[in-house]
Amino acid sequence: MSEHKLLAPLTTRRRAGRGVSPALRGERSILRGIGVTLLWMVVAISIAALVWMVAQAFRDTRAILDDPWGVPTSLDFGNFVRAWTVGDFAVATWNSLLTTVVSSVLTVAIAAPCSYYLSRVDNKLTQGLSLYFILGLGIPAQVILIPLFVMLNKVYLTDSIIGLNLVYIGVSMPFTVFLLTAFFRSLPLEMEEAAALDGTTAFGTFWRITLPLAKGGILTAFILQVISHWNETLLALTLLQSTEKYTLPVALISFVQQQTYSGADWGGLFAGLVIVVLPMLIIYVWLGRRLTEGLTLGMGK
Amino acid sequence: MTLHLTEPRTGGAPVHSPESRKPVPRKSQRGSRPGGSSIDVQRKKLLIPFVGPAFVLYTVLFIVPALGAVWISLHKWAGSGPMKFVGLDNYGRIFRDQLFLSSFGNTLLLLFVVGTAIFVLAFALTLVLRDMAGKKIARNVIFFPHLINALVFGVLAGFIFNPGGMVNTLLAPLGVTDPPKWLAQDNIFPLIMVTLVCTTTGYFTTILMAGVDRIPPYYYEDCALAGASAFQRLRYVILPLTWDVFGTCAVLWTISSVKIFEIVWVFGGSSGAGVPPTQSWTAAVYTYVNAFSGQSTPAYGAATASAVLSLALISVLVVLLRRAMRRDAVEF
Repeated sequence: MSEHKLLAPLTTRRRAGRGVSPALRGERSILRGIGVTLLWMVVAISIAALVWMVAQAFRDTRAILDDPWGVPTSLDFGNFVRAWTVGDFAVATWNSLLTTVVSSVLTVAIAAPCSYYLSRVDNKLTQGLSLYFILGLGIPAQVILIPLFVMLNKVYLTDSIIGLNLVYIGVSMPFTVFLLTAFFRSLPLEMEEAAALDGTTAFGTFWRITLPLAKGGILTAFILQVISHWNETLLALTLLQSTEKYTLPVALISFVQQQTYSGADWGGLFAGLVIVVLPMLIIYVWLGRRLTEGLTLGMGK
Repeated sequence: MTLHLTEPRTGGAPVHSPESRKPVPRKSQRGSRPGGSSIDVQRKKLLIPFVGPAFVLYTVLFIVPALGAVWISLHKWAGSGPMKFVGLDNYGRIFRDQLFLSSFGNTLLLLFVVGTAIFVLAFALTLVLRDMAGKKIARNVIFFPHLINALVFGVLAGFIFNPGGMVNTLLAPLGVTDPPKWLAQDNIFPLIMVTLVCTTTGYFTTILMAGVDRIPPYYYEDCALAGASAFQRLRYVILPLTWDVFGTCAVLWTISSVKIFEIVWVFGGSSGAGVPPTQSWTAAVYTYVNAFSGQSTPAYGAATASAVLSLALISVLVVLLRRAMRRDAVEF
């Protein structure tokens, strides 16, 4: 990407004068030029890397190793079929999908009323509760790993998708409650008050007024949970033992580890990576703005 | 802290204008707490059904295990059989364990060295991005790695840094005939650090950008009128006004860097035994291996002691950060 291309839209924009004074159009120092060029290089490399990864998934291992820069000659789904069948990715994908959707839906469904209460009732108790929930944000997963395993083992919920779902819901509470509380606080109260004057019950105002208003925030919270549950590795690795219970990240790890014995099947591996990454890409392209907004708002604590 | 909690979502809820038909709004701010209005009284009764489920799940599946960890860390326990109370012995033991020290050292390296690199880069990127054409596209692209499981980067690194892999084929024409053994046990951890810098910087750039974007443009105009240099503008306008966002990012990185696990676990393909070389362990890996690797008798006590220490590290740092970053909040 040359300087020319970069500067061209800038100048036109300045001329178009979108209410921005020339003072804001930064100085054109060399340092800055280098920075801009580097940045675009990073952007280009990132996109190229993603495209490259997807492309390699359609080539067989020998071709990949011979010429890692090559492009697939035909749309060959052999790698995916092999990953799907030999690498147990079919079952793992299904498990991941099920776990992600169920735990994310339940997380939001349980966190939303709680956040609503914490955002609308203001007393010592709710302040304490808010703090109690925020506390969890700082506890890393490895701390609860072993006790959780011991506890779940006692009630036969290790190596179980149900157990994993429960764990994900519990672990996601701090962040979701935190995010949604901030969101509910930002909603205006007038409509709820009007509804209350009209005789709606407290539950009714929540259900019929606030929830529909909060659709955006709730969707954001849901998507953020989908992403973190889809990618969660450490807890799943600890709590699941049998192959037919594996989620995708665990299956990927076991696939990688098999290869130290059976020789590297890079084709299958790339297919596996694509299966892990692609859903995230789709979500990002589809709902990206909502996502970054939610993250930057939620994290602005 | 609360300042941000209540920050309105711009663009999220354009609710004010369309509802102008209703009567003059009562002067009831959120904090109206006479406790008199019936809706408030009714609402308070929702405590159990609304907060209850979240509270119970969170307590049982998060807080109880966290307390349990402290409890287990005071015992000698192999996971089954009797627990033997040994007090703080486990802590003493892991501090004499060379393996723990190097793992914990690696975690500290991630926290401080990688953290510093990320912050410098992210801030530089933010300054570049601030008034760049096409900044939205660039920002969206560099954010994306945050959504990808770190496993993916670990596996890809194994491919790229293979002895016959892409890096070496790239270096060959440049005259590097004897490239370093990238995936040798001692080199893996530095590579992990570099990979983490590359994949995490974009996320923090996005957060910092959100802070910089909040600065109203007339500050810059003022600067231009006063003849401030670029450095002065940075020093006296941008830094003070984004200081709190920096604090947030630092806290975020502290929390997330201490739990780094999966990228270490698979980086460069696994070494056969399923456990990465000890030189690249982090505190999280140490905990996992000591409890679940099946290589030796599980030492739950030592493993949780290591985890509890990580938690202590986070707590201390977060408190320190909060104190260090506390300045008079600049209202704007």
